[in-house]
Amino acid sequence: MINTIDISHYGTVAESIRIEAARILGEGLVTAVVAYTAGRRAGSVQPAIITSAAEAERLTFTAASVNNLAVYLTKAKKDIPRSGRIGIVVKGCDLKALVGLMGESQLQREQLYLIGIPCAGVLASTVRPAEPLTAGNLAPKCRECDAQLPEGCDYVPEIDLPLPTPLESTYAAEIARLEGLTPAERWAYWKEQFAKCIKCYACRQVCPFCFCEQCLCDRNKPQMVDTTPRPAGNTAWHIVRAMHLAGRCAGCAECERVCPMDIPLNLLNRKMAKELKELFDYEAGFAVNEKGPLTMFMEKDDQSFIK
Amino acid sequence: MQKYLSRHNFYTLLDTLISGGIRVVAPRMTAGIPLYGPLGESVEMVLDQLPRRSAKEAFFPVCEDIMSYEKEGQQVRLTDVEPASFPETVLVGVRPCDAAAIPVLDGVFSWDYKDEFFLERRRKTTVIGLACTSADDACFCTAVGLSPADTRGSDLFLTPLADGGYLCDVCSDKGEALVADTINLFSEPGSSTPLPLAAPSVPAFDLKKVKGWLDGHFEDPLWDGTALRCVGCGACAFVCPACHCFDIVDEGTEKSGKRRKSWDACGFWKFTHHASGHNPRDKQPKRYRNRIMHKFKYYDDKFGQTLCTGCGRCVRICPVGIDIAAIVTEINGMAIECTPAGGETRS
Repeated sequence: MINTIDISHYGTVAESIRIEAARILGEGLVTAVVAYTAGRRAGSVQPAIITSAAEAERLTFTAASVNNLAVYLTKAKKDIPRSGRIGIVVKGCDLKALVGLMGESQLQREQLYLIGIPCAGVLASTVRPAEPLTAGNLAPKCRECDAQLPEGCDYVPEIDLPLPTPLESTYAAEIARLEGLTPAERWAYWKEQFAKCIKCYACRQVCPFCFCEQCLCDRNKPQMVDTTPRPAGNTAWHIVRAMHLAGRCAGCAECERVCPMDIPLNLLNRKMAKELKELFDYEAGFAVNEKGPLTMFMEKDDQSFIK
Repeated sequence: MQKYLSRHNFYTLLDTLISGGIRVVAPRMTAGIPLYGPLGESVEMVLDQLPRRSAKEAFFPVCEDIMSYEKEGQQVRLTDVEPASFPETVLVGVRPCDAAAIPVLDGVFSWDYKDEFFLERRRKTTVIGLACTSADDACFCTAVGLSPADTRGSDLFLTPLADGGYLCDVCSDKGEALVADTINLFSEPGSSTPLPLAAPSVPAFDLKKVKGWLDGHFEDPLWDGTALRCVGCGACAFVCPACHCFDIVDEGTEKSGKRRKSWDACGFWKFTHHASGHNPRDKQPKRYRNRIMHKFKYYDDKFGQTLCTGCGRCVRICPVGIDIAAIVTEINGMAIECTPAGGETRS
């Protein structure tokens, strides 16, 4: 039986976003609002940056509102008009990225007007955006969501969230499976996955934490990482990416969603998150921290690796 | 010439080719997704899904070596990759949107510079196309003047029949030669009817008018409006059957290494970054504009063809939902609006 997810409140959420976006733009509280509008295809949704109250009527929120819009507030997206405070629609997972960006001094809270979404989940993929949301096509991150109601926003539509159906974490199960393999088997698995990589860098471009003005992979003096889509360069890139996000990635899973080759990238991120939780009792995205566990030293840190 | 090929004989044909030492490339599952790849046996073939990457990689691989170097003392030895070593190949199960892109690419790869890597693979490859019986709302081959039964680019073209077999159109000398070699597998067409063809829903573009509009709108608010949200990855170009830009880099050590050619994309900021530090396409909308211009104007200017076959891959995979069919539909609308009745397109 297909387990349908109750998202009947998304219509009300969308209407609340339209009203609030029109109000804050109309009153001059913000100069732009980053949100979602409908696309051409049935059920499709796309990010939109609106700058006038009149445009607010186009805004929507559905199970296809998958994007983490925080990427539009990062240095990598300098083209977005930044003449004043910016409104942004955030799901709980998206907010974690903003919290991280604040901790890394990329954004300041007072620059933002946060419209939070009481979220019951979104689609894993937007290849078929009109599909009704079920346990089968629900984004894996939503199965283990701990932030259905984003906290500390400027506005959250008042809605009684339907009680979520408890679902098993597919990431935890898959990580456990991979941990159970021998190193050679695990290496074979990742080699096969990375062999599909075409170096389109969609994973990098949608990541709110990939805000380096020039990525290591785009530098050629020195050439740290081979640029061609071959085993050496692909593996190097995905290891660099996983390590650079350790302790920072809060699991929006956009990298995995957008990968046109279906490489399970968030598995690497979740594995890193698991290590950080075990080693440092640290979870990214809940509080504005200036320093994460990998950028500081504390005496109680695990030192068992020093032999 | 039309022949009948039963489903069983289709698979037998491929296995016969494989056992005869011919490389047979077809869609098959690769680490969870359908991609074109060499078959070990015919049953590996997956025909009910459009491969994630297009058939262009059979001629223009994601990455290939074009030369190697070795240095010993003061001696440097360069070794070319010989296209003559490329294997005879039969490329099977190619949808019309993928097959039609191949002759379009002939234009650029055999223009002022003859790209032997592409052309030798073209010479050595026989393409077996497959009519398309299902479309989603990302598909728009009919909007760019093709159809789910278009035989362009195919040497043999299979149309699925109600009995599970195929009607086989012989479209070229290469196709005829392949049929002649395996004639016992083919028979005369019978009474089985073709399955209904796919019916993409995007209304046809007037490609002349679209080009006419683009001729005069290098600067236009449309570009900012549609492309401000583009995040600047290369996914659209890499899954595209017609995008063909590539980069050439040397990889290796001081002692030895390879010169390699690999796919590149105009969506990357680095694509037009000059050594001086200047970047003429300094903002994402300018890069996205190039994508549309190249497909619907520049390639037409130079080679008289449109560089888009409406496969819809970029529409399905764009991380931020940029929909080229919607954009060209919008341009098409503006182009028709600004054309005086019976007059030339305003530029």
